[in-house]
Formats: sequence, C-alpha cells, structure tokens
Amino acid sequence: MYLEVNNISKYFDKKPILKNLSFSLQKGEILSFVGDSGAGKTTFLNCLSGLDKIESGKIVLDGVVLNNESTFIEPQKRDVGLVFQDYPLFPHLNLKQNILFNLKGFDQVEFDRLIEVSKLDSLLEKYPHQLSGGEKQRASIARAILRKPKLLLLDEPFNNLDKNIKSQIINEILQTIKKYEITTILVTHDTNNLFQYSDKILIFKAATLQQFDSPVNTYCNPSNCYCAELMGDLNKVVIDNATYYLRPENIRLVKKSKYPVVVKASVFNKSIYKIKGKLFDNDLMFNSSKNLDAGETIYIDFNTKDLINFKKECEGYFES
Amino acid sequence: MKIGGKLVLGLAILLIVLPILSLILYNLEVNPISTILNKPNVFIDSGYNTFYLLIITVFISIIFGLFPAWFVSLYSFKFKYLVDFLLYLPLAIPTYIMAFSYGEILSYTGPFQLFLRNYIPALSPFFNMDYLTIEVLGCVLGFSLFPYVYAASRISFTLIGQSYIHLSKMLGLNTLSTFFKVVLPLSTPAILSAVFLVCMEVLNEYGATKYFGVNTFTTEIFKTWYSLNDIGAAVGLSVVLLITVMTLYIFEHMYNAKTKINYKENTQLDFTFKKKITSTKPILFCIIPILFGFVFPFIFIVNNVIENILIFNFIDTLILAFNSISLSLLASLLIVLVLFYVLFVDKEYKTRASKTLNIFSSIGYALPGAVLALSLIIMSSQIKNNVISVSLTGTYFLLIHAYFIRFMAVGKSPIKSSFDKMPDNLSESAKNLGLGNLGLAKKLYLPLNKFALLTAFLLCFVDLMKELPMTLILRPFNFDTLATKTYEFAVEEMVDLSSIYSLIIILVCSASLFIVKKINHN
Repeated sequence: MYLEVNNISKYFDKKPILKNLSFSLQKGEILSFVGDSGAGKTTFLNCLSGLDKIESGKIVLDGVVLNNESTFIEPQKRDVGLVFQDYPLFPHLNLKQNILFNLKGFDQVEFDRLIEVSKLDSLLEKYPHQLSGGEKQRASIARAILRKPKLLLLDEPFNNLDKNIKSQIINEILQTIKKYEITTILVTHDTNNLFQYSDKILIFKAATLQQFDSPVNTYCNPSNCYCAELMGDLNKVVIDNATYYLRPENIRLVKKSKYPVVVKASVFNKSIYKIKGKLFDNDLMFNSSKNLDAGETIYIDFNTKDLINFKKECEGYFES
Repeated sequence: MKIGGKLVLGLAILLIVLPILSLILYNLEVNPISTILNKPNVFIDSGYNTFYLLIITVFISIIFGLFPAWFVSLYSFKFKYLVDFLLYLPLAIPTYIMAFSYGEILSYTGPFQLFLRNYIPALSPFFNMDYLTIEVLGCVLGFSLFPYVYAASRISFTLIGQSYIHLSKMLGLNTLSTFFKVVLPLSTPAILSAVFLVCMEVLNEYGATKYFGVNTFTTEIFKTWYSLNDIGAAVGLSVVLLITVMTLYIFEHMYNAKTKINYKENTQLDFTFKKKITSTKPILFCIIPILFGFVFPFIFIVNNVIENILIFNFIDTLILAFNSISLSLLASLLIVLVLFYVLFVDKEYKTRASKTLNIFSSIGYALPGAVLALSLIIMSSQIKNNVISVSLTGTYFLLIHAYFIRFMAVGKSPIKSSFDKMPDNLSESAKNLGLGNLGLAKKLYLPLNKFALLTAFLLCFVDLMKELPMTLILRPFNFDTLATKTYEFAVEEMVDLSSIYSLIIILVCSASLFIVKKINHN
C-alpha cells in the first residue's frame, strides 16, 4: 500500500479526537473523508501533514514511516501538500510569487496549464487582498498541485468556488490530480459531489471510523444508520413485520401493486417532482416525472435487493 | 456637530500647532542660519554623535527585541508568561536612570571592577577603562529601549497567526527560513514603527547623554540655551533636529503606506506551536536583555537604597513622590479625556477638524522634549509681548501643555485601535434606539472601551513619571519631581542619594505596566 494509516489515536485534554483509525490507499487514489463539522477532520489532516503528532499508531507513506512512537518527520520534510480551509496566501507576495514560493525549478508548460485550468491567467500579478475567496482558493490548490506531492491533503477545498464555474473547475483539477497520480485525501462535509470523484469514501464520527469503502458500497450497503443517512435520503418501510430502509430513487411508480400510497404533497424540483406520501403508517418520499395531486392514491414498487436492513440499534434512529 | 464641539477641536489643534509655529517664526527672526555658518563644528559634532548613537541603539534594540519576541511567540516553556512580562519591564526604568546606574556599576569603584579585582585579578587590568563613552551609552540605551521592538514584534507575530507559519512549513521551509522569508517581511512595518520610536527616544534623550558627556543635538540645545545663552544657536539646532525628526517621520509613514500588508488578521491568534523547547539557547537569549535591561540596574539601585537608608530624607521623598504622581495623574487624565472626545467625534462624524487633530496628535511624540519646551517658551514670551502681559513660563499650565502635546500619541494608539474594532452599525443601532451623543459616549463607547482607556491612561502615566527634559526646562520655580531630583543628584556625582527616587519611579512604573499587561492578557 502507498499510504498506510495504522491504528492512529490523538487526544486533546484526554478527549479522543481520533481513536484507532486505520485505512490504506493505493498510489493515485482519491479518498473523500466525510464527517460532521467539529468531528476532528482537520486534526486528522494535521497529523498526516506533520503539523500535529499522533499519540499512538503509525503513518507510512511510500514505504517511509512518517510518524510512530519513535519517529516523527517534520512537515517540511514529508513531501505532503496541504490546502488549508482558510486558503492562506502570503499577503506580501503576489499570486505568481505565492504559487512559486520555495519551488526550486518547475516546468513552465505545466505551470501555464495549471494556471489556465484554475482560471488564474489574468490574476498572476495581483496581491491576495485584491482577490476573491474563490480565486484565492484556486491559487492555493494550484500551488499544492504544482509541487506534485506524494500525498495531497485538501481541507474543504471547493467551498468558495463560484457556482458558474464550480463543477468545471473541480472536474479539471481532479483530472489533473489523476493525471499526475497524486494520492489525495479530500476532507469535506458536503456529500453532494462525493460519488463522482472519489475512489474511496471514509465516514468518520465520534473519533472513530464508521465506514471505509468504495462509493457504490457506501451508498448501497451503508454499514450503519449514520452512514446511510449521510449518503442520502431514506424511507422506512415495514414488510411482513420487518423494518427495512429504501432510497427514494429506488422506488418506482406502477399501475397496481400491494403498496398503495396516498399522496400528501408534490413539490417541483428542477426536472422532477418530489412526492411526499403515506404508505400504511409510514411517511414516504420518492421522485416522479409528473405532478401528482394531493389525496390521490397511487401504487409503488421496488426491488427487494434495494432494501437496506440495519442492526437492532438503529431502530428509532431516523425517527429522532 | 454643535459649535461648542467644533471650538474644542479648534482649540486643541491650536494648542498643538501654535508652539511649533512660534519656533519657526522665531527662527526666521533670529536668522540662525548665520549662527550655523559661524559654528559649523557644533552642528557637525552633535550631528555625528546623534547619528552614531542612533545606529548603536537601534542595532541593540533590534537584536534584543526581535529575537526574544520570536522565541516567546514560537515556543512554550516554563515561566513563559513571567519571561514575557519581564521583557517589557525595562520600560519601567527611565533611560537616564539606566545610564547613571551603569555609569556607577562599570566605574573603577563600582561593583563590576571591584568583583574583577577581588576574584579575577588577572583580568581586572583589561577592564579598567573609561566606560563613559558613546558606544557604552548606545548599548545602555539599546537595553533600555528594546521593549519597543519586542512589543511591536510580539503584536505583529500574534496578528500574523499560525496559518502562514504552517503554510510555510508545508511548502518546505524550516523554522529559521520561515522566520526570514515569511515572518520578518510580514512584520517589517511594525518593526519599523518601533525602530522609529526608539529613534525618537534617543533624539529626545538628555539625562543619559549629559551624564555620559556625549554631545547630541538635544544636549547642545540645552547647553547653548542655558549655559551660553545663545538663543540663535539653540533655535538653529532645534530646527535642524525638527527637520531630522520630520524626515524620519515622513519616511516611516511613506514606507508603511507603501508596504501596507493586508494580511488576514486573527486567523488563529494563538501563535505558539506549543512546541516544547529543546535547547536552552533561546531562553538564554531572552534572559540576557532582562538581566541587562532590568535586573542589574534594579539590584544596584535597591542595594544603594539599603546602604543609604539612614541618610534619606523621607519627608522630601514623599513630597517629590506626591509631585510626580499627582502631576502625572492629572496630565494623563487630561490627555485621555481629550483623546476620548477627539476619537469619538472622529468615529461618529469624521469631520475635517477631528481628522486633522487625529494626525497632529501622532506627531507630538516625534517632537524632542527640548525642542518642544523651547517652542513653548518662545510662544509664551510672544504671547506676553503681544497678547496678554502675563508670562506663562514657569507655570503648571505650560508644563501640562507640553505633556499634552508630546504624550497624546502614547494614549491614542490603544484607544484608537479599540474604537476601530467597534462595528459602525453598533452606534447606528444605538442612535436608532434613541441615544444622543452623550448617551452614546456614556452607554456605548465608555463601557466597550474601558480597558483601552485604562491602558492609555497607564501608558501615559508611566511616560510622564519618567519624563525629564521638558520638566527640567518648564517646571515652576522650586518645583521638583522624582525625575528632576534624580537627575540633579546624578550630575552632581551623588547617584547613591538619588537611588530612593529612582526606586520609587521604577516600582510605580512596574506596577502600572503589570496592570497594563494583565488587562491586555485577559
């Protein structure tokens, strides 16, 4: 494995921030590290980058131990790039000087391409206080990628990008990362775009790992109710006295079935209608291509393989 | 704004401008250019000495101000808070008391040479020399004034925050390179402002330079004015000094405006990495300026007090302490009240008068005490000749007037930065809820800025307790303060007898600085 995080723990004032966290990545893989705000995501990045020490466990990158009980490699010697959440650029340097800061020898063609991809061409001579939040964020990412680090850590990197160019820029930046085969960990609390650019997803809560898997498995086979809810909406359905959960997009409208639903509301949402209804005693939400009237009775169906079954401790989780 | 308010602002501007204007007009009258041409050596010698003294003092101040600030900011170690406070304490010892103390400590009969003769006799001949030289004076002033650089650097490093340091490390720089490539360029404007203050203090210095026998512009002004009664030469020297100061002032302001760094303030205010210190060198580097800037002179003075305890006149001492403290309290209160009013008007109304006064109040600190005192005497005599037949010279009014001009800048900075932190919509909301100007001042500005006002008051008080040249020239007849008495004894070679006065000044100033530090730490 290229990156091995083995049983690492970190405490602040005896309160665990990371508890026995383990996972590994192949070279060039992109991992999305997902968790609520304040869950310890930034501390995790600080431990990987060397800005913080772990208390136990081991971090190995490309065969080199970065941190364990006896070894601690300083941040400047790790070849790890970190793009901070508050995207700091040095205020006394212009954008070009910021991107090339402490970089000995660089490929001009790659630099030009990266600047073009990040749409920074016309801003190179400007100083940070003359740039918008999105521009500074793009510059911080470009600066990190240009160094082609062994490991790239991005802390909520796409928060401030302008809506109009957001998806285009994210796409191009991630393509560049893939092209250079930079192993990347992307910390985020936004799960909307997670599936399109992640090779792996790691869900993290209460200092412990909840699930580490491929995007498909994380979505379809969540390991617990927290992961399931984080990845998207869920409906509770009771079939033969057993409780299951079902994603709205796995429900289809049919002419007749054993599942009658009374429509309570229909809300237009861009290309579809979001339908809220009642199936027996449970509320249900699903998508429809056409508008439905409140009070109307319609029928739904689904594949039994799409039903998700959680352990006993998840009972009542979604009602709260 | 009502007419009364405008009048107060106008009067305050007049109080600052009038003395300088009098000096310039008088300068044209007495034609000091011919005096300068007649006595070129006086100007060349004092100019050279002033410049040389500035270089040494600034160098020592930067070395012992900048690096300890970096170490204290970067590392966490035992007694860090105490070390941080002690590094400010040399400000509690007036420069002239430092100079008198070191003059004695290093003399042939002083403790340093005595120690060498008793314990390391082989070395004693090498250290038996004249220490009252410009180089030693530069070092003494450097150890006395480095807290200006230390304080500015500490504030700047805190404002820079952790983010840039972390970023620099992530981009491959080690701690040392980070200091030189990131921290230093970002802190240059703050350090330069501190260096400017150090220069102003050196140019203002009288007691120490006189004791060491170093002829600077300021000592020459005193000499030509008092001993030689050569008004033309004194005015000429004052004008040259004024031009020097204004050149430095303009350079500092132009540089800072040009390199104004818009760094994102308060990113992560806790600057320390909580990095445990691994070497004793940084701590040693912090201890050296504390020892030379505070501990050695303080121990020397305390020892003198103990040795002479039986011969001090405590009634006189109490009277002098009362004079110093009451005068300093009164002047500080006046300065803070005027500043509160001016800055309040400037924030609320942004009138041309308040803006002008805002600028003029900063210039006062750049005026050397001797020049200011001379200007006020000239102004007073012109008022006596042309307006009213009462002389203001030698009155408390003129002395407090001088304090008011010179120390407004000291109090302004904490009050202004506290006012700047108040969002504009706060007073708009208060006005919307029915508050008038008095209500705004009483119910909003006063409670929100009480600590800044107290800090300003204490900083002015400390500077006033230590003030010497202006008090020496402008004090009423037979009126003495702790500072003037200390000086008088010292120049009469009776430093031992002045030590009780020095000790009171140091203790009162240390206590005030402790409160300032405590307020700002909380």
